[in-house]
Amino acid sequence: MELFLEQLINGCAIGSLYAMFGLGFGIVFATLGILNAAHGSYASWAAIAALAAVEQLKLPFIVALPIGVVAGGMLAVLVDQIAFQPLRRRGSEMLGALITSIAFWIILDNLAGTATGQQSLSFPRGSYPGTMFRLGDIPLPAMQVITIAAMLIVTVSLHLLIRHSRFGAAMRAVGWNQTAAALGGVNPRHVVIITAFIAGATSGLAGVLGGITTQNVSFLLGEGLLLKGFAAVVVGGYDDVRGTAIAGVGLGILEVMTSQYLSSGLRDGITYALLLSFLLLRPRGLFGSAGFSRA
Amino acid sequence: MTPASGSTVASPPLLDVAAIAKHFGGVTAVSDLSMQVRTGSVAGLMGPNGAGKTTLVNLISGLLPSDSGTIRFAGVEIQRSPAYDIASQGIARTYQNVRLFSGMTVLEQVMAGCYVRRGASLWASFLGLPKARAAYKAVERHARELLERVQLSAQANLLAETLSYGEQRRVEIARALGTSPRLLLLDEPTAGMNVQESNEIGNLVHSLRDGGLTVLMVEHNVRLVKEFCDHVTVMNFGRLLATGTPAECIAHPDVQAAYFGNTADAERIRALR
Amino acid sequence: MQALGDFWRAYQSTVAFAIVNAFFALSTYAVLSAGILSFATVTYAAMGGFVGARLVLQSGLDPMLLLPAAAGAGALLAYIVALIFLRLESHWMALASLALILITRVVVINVPSVTGGVNGLSLPVKLPLFVLAILLAVAIAVFYRLSVSWFGIASRAVREDPAVASSIGIAPRRIQTIAFVISGAVGGLGGMLLALVLQFLSPDTYFVNIAFTMIAAVVLGGSYHWIGAIIGAAVFTALPVIAQAIVPHFQEVANGIVLLLIMIFLPRGLIDPRAIRLRRAAHGASADAARGAARIVEGKP
Repeated sequence: MELFLEQLINGCAIGSLYAMFGLGFGIVFATLGILNAAHGSYASWAAIAALAAVEQLKLPFIVALPIGVVAGGMLAVLVDQIAFQPLRRRGSEMLGALITSIAFWIILDNLAGTATGQQSLSFPRGSYPGTMFRLGDIPLPAMQVITIAAMLIVTVSLHLLIRHSRFGAAMRAVGWNQTAAALGGVNPRHVVIITAFIAGATSGLAGVLGGITTQNVSFLLGEGLLLKGFAAVVVGGYDDVRGTAIAGVGLGILEVMTSQYLSSGLRDGITYALLLSFLLLRPRGLFGSAGFSRA
Repeated sequence: MTPASGSTVASPPLLDVAAIAKHFGGVTAVSDLSMQVRTGSVAGLMGPNGAGKTTLVNLISGLLPSDSGTIRFAGVEIQRSPAYDIASQGIARTYQNVRLFSGMTVLEQVMAGCYVRRGASLWASFLGLPKARAAYKAVERHARELLERVQLSAQANLLAETLSYGEQRRVEIARALGTSPRLLLLDEPTAGMNVQESNEIGNLVHSLRDGGLTVLMVEHNVRLVKEFCDHVTVMNFGRLLATGTPAECIAHPDVQAAYFGNTADAERIRALR
Repeated sequence: MQALGDFWRAYQSTVAFAIVNAFFALSTYAVLSAGILSFATVTYAAMGGFVGARLVLQSGLDPMLLLPAAAGAGALLAYIVALIFLRLESHWMALASLALILITRVVVINVPSVTGGVNGLSLPVKLPLFVLAILLAVAIAVFYRLSVSWFGIASRAVREDPAVASSIGIAPRRIQTIAFVISGAVGGLGGMLLALVLQFLSPDTYFVNIAFTMIAAVVLGGSYHWIGAIIGAAVFTALPVIAQAIVPHFQEVANGIVLLLIMIFLPRGLIDPRAIRLRRAAHGASADAARGAARIVEGKP
């Protein structure tokens, strides 16, 4: 029983990473209509930036974390303005944006590989909170608590932002029709940049926390999060923040349980099988709205 | 129904639309519409903008499924058939806004239209067998003949999208003819054309009719309709408004009111001033 | 002479990889030319690669004899994929094909009897380079023949405007299914060729990497003509090798930068039939204008 609960919490923690990454990825997909293959590299670079802050600049966790997050956000803005903005002006379709994002995926992932010396780096012990709490007999590492808490805070904040704020309305308007939004008094350029930053920062947060907890700071971190986060977005419903969060955590729990009780080789399989099933049978996901298609 | 001169009354209509209806959510585009087109005639379809003419053409050609009613072509029900099926049965069409394939030359557009007479299996083409090459050449020859008919032979190797609007329309007609149709649906073929170009289209339609083709033309140009159509159907708000010879329809008071407004409204407007 | 031999030995493998990548690019192009974005080439390649490799190991036959089996396996898989995927809207279909690759890797890990599982599969059999070249020439001949056939014109029509294509008698789903099968055969064959070039297969051999770089290669080379696929594959394979001499450690980045530049400045790719025709028309028009002007000067009507 204790093992089950321990794994449940593990699953929640991992799932929280998927959820947070998925939120960032999903914002870009749902509001800007872009399938961004480079999004994972924002997470990788956020982790690298945080690690550099800790190792090179000897900064504490509480400072290194925001540095990583901001790095993720700024990278997202950079890529958006260089890669997607010219396409927006031309009125291109999804394929063009996807290919351009692939170009950046190639560039950023290879640069990340060079930055980490083609290895998987770890955060040194002591550079992050290592307290071990206890829930009865179950060990509860501080990082897991932080990860799950971060996910909850981010989910609620984004939900309030998107659904209950003027900026959120502007985001949705721009995502739907930039010209119409502009005619309605919204500055699309600003909205796009801020949206890109939020998306990059959220995924960056997932990257830093993921890099610490999985002890894997490398371009592989981002790629892994991209695939799982993408699954969370599809299964949860890409235009619903709460759906993505629930699906992300759910997938994390399912993966850990599959690995524990069935076979570790099938661990990824359950996520991807669900992903494919939803795409074939119910593309809008568990909580997404029907009849919503990205042109 | 008034037959075109020279044909017998006894033969069944080539196209028989019966009580066809189409709704888009709460909007009724076509409602309880019935009309017939006789073989070998040039039929006109008129009505103010938004009357449902293009929707009707879309229903006949299979681009849209109908909600109720039947459409019979040469006695066969087609309202449930997919567009490519209807095309191979002998109905071809053009579009209100010219829809040519981007990036293809004029000749290639028409060759695409000749798909139904491709004459070779995939394996033959795959292996480059002589039979396949001969079939391809035959299609090219036929396409050139069609271009000859619409007087665009000189432009065969030009990108279709670089042609003038009137020329693009003729390419579209040639492409439609490639399917060897028995019924040709033309959706506002002379829109945006000057008098000379419009007359050329009218003459083309007549020569097609003389060659045995049946034509249904959506047309706003009253002069053209009077000169080139044997029979007219008028729609308004998705319903049948009037039907008969061009002269009958144009003189019909309901048709006049639909296009020009009625005298009661005119007096009310005058009173407001 | 020795230097030439060394040079050849060094770049032989690059040429081999370029040819294999050309197969993958052609497989991606096959469906793209009918209007479908699909990453499933990777799955067909995995099918052809593992099935082919396993058959070679088990039967001891010359791999050349088993190539058709790889192509056939890929084609069959593609046909099944087409039946399921063609019901989907195009965006969802693209994403579903991405999910398909992810699942492929999981399947590969979990059937070690065929694929060697996590440990991979060793294939100590080689195929001479000239055989690869001949196979590519055959593929080119087939793609050329299809492009000047009714299938080629019908595909372009379906890609540009499926509704209009339907109204001239072309059944889009039929054309697209055929495109899928061609893609599967070419992809499966490419997969087996990759196995013979690498001589070792692991679960990561056929994965997202190939999918992304192949679609990128097709778009870079020009997604409107089969030559574009081959040129794109050649560029993507050769560029890092050249870049390594100039900026070592950053050679892979070169591909990304070139792709980015193409997407910004030449979005239809290096080989664009439409642009070529527009230029031809412009020359024709200016030639006509020049002739007309010359007549005026000479006083002719």
